[in-house]
Amino acid sequence: MGLDAWSLVAIFEIVIFLVTFPLLVFGWLMRARGRNPIRDAPFESGQTHLGEARQRYMMQYYPYLIMFIVFDVIAMFLFTWGLAFSSVPMARNYLFLVFIAVLVAPLAYAMYLSGKREFW
Amino acid sequence: MWLQALPALQEILNLALRIITSRTFLEIVFFPGFLNVMLSAAFLVWLERKVIARIQLRIGPLYAGLSGILQPIADGVKLMFKEMILPELADAKLLMLCALGLMMLAFAPAAAIPFGEGLVIANMDVGLVYVFAVMSLFPSVILLIGWGSNSKYSFLGGLRSLFQQVAYEIPMWLSVLGIVMLTGTLNLTKIVEAQQRLWFVVPQVLGFAVFFTVALAELERTPFDLPEAETELVMGWMTELSGVPFMLGFLAMYTKLYVMSALITTLFLGGWSGPGFLPQPVWVVLKTFIVASVVFVIRGTFPRVRVDILLRTGWTRLLVLAFANIFVTVALMSIGLGSVWRI
Repeated sequence: MGLDAWSLVAIFEIVIFLVTFPLLVFGWLMRARGRNPIRDAPFESGQTHLGEARQRYMMQYYPYLIMFIVFDVIAMFLFTWGLAFSSVPMARNYLFLVFIAVLVAPLAYAMYLSGKREFW
Repeated sequence: MWLQALPALQEILNLALRIITSRTFLEIVFFPGFLNVMLSAAFLVWLERKVIARIQLRIGPLYAGLSGILQPIADGVKLMFKEMILPELADAKLLMLCALGLMMLAFAPAAAIPFGEGLVIANMDVGLVYVFAVMSLFPSVILLIGWGSNSKYSFLGGLRSLFQQVAYEIPMWLSVLGIVMLTGTLNLTKIVEAQQRLWFVVPQVLGFAVFFTVALAELERTPFDLPEAETELVMGWMTELSGVPFMLGFLAMYTKLYVMSALITTLFLGGWSGPGFLPQPVWVVLKTFIVASVVFVIRGTFPRVRVDILLRTGWTRLLVLAFANIFVTVALMSIGLGSVWRI
């Protein structure tokens, strides 16, 4: 059968769905009905739970998150370079190494900032 | 009346028979596909319990089957009949949906991994990017489970999973860039074909070290098992799961381990290449199990790191090593060694 790669992946996913979904339905039908306040409470190591879990959490490690946004894009662009590596003349490939070396300076500064714990 | 419908029925039966016996169907359902991954994941559960037991001078599972090899299946059947507790504050439908999603996400990368020459479900040109893209969706689903179960332990586990992704994602991409440069392709089958003379673990030893470390973080394995740290967060994001959703989440993690080990085998350890006395798929599965047992030994021997240490290691050590690997690869190519791995 001449199916392309993506439809094969889709068929594979459908097979997995057909096997796992009935299990969930089975568990849903067999579950215990009725209320039991102790059983249904969120687990907090035996303590009575206090409040919701959906509160505001402190956003720590902020410099890392900013660097992640920048370097994620850069990693993608480096992949396009890596794919074309052999077809590009070697002298131009060395230019990319210069590009990476330039990247290291802001990375080092960001790491210096994020190493200071008072900024967290 | 029904006699007239008979030929149509026969045609449908014929078509069904043709589909079931077709190579594509057999590949998807049996060997490189569903049953292989499922049974191997169950085997890995047993293997992990045996290896950890060996490290801790215990015996491990013993009674179900030959030295307990059927124990994971017995556990699965047991979990199916366990009470499914859905906490009153939790979003039950979201939890079940996410358990299903985890399972489907865990299996999806297996479609692109070759288990032999031409023995792959979907031979796609962007296989490597596809595998990484699917794997990078995991932390989001885990955060959804933490959010949906509305328990503090679960939610903290989900948040840690996201932070872990910030630490490992970029070193993971950059550590395989050397292979892409050497082969000039993202097709996993072609990457294996390029390694017939020499495995990539030799020229890319830095990349291999970085990728293996990153794989441990990706799999939430012991030095980096922050999202489900048992001593801090009960069971992390799995705290509020029980019964069938727990089974699916647990199995998804082991499926991910199997797929990730197979990916390491494919990228660095030569995939199906090996001496001819064993068939190719056996080599892939054997190497995969060896990589997985190294992961288990690491689990038995290493302590857990803190979140900030993980982030710091990812950004100051692993990322720099991955960049160094790119420089080494460029040096290899510029002295003309790149032709060894040309297809």
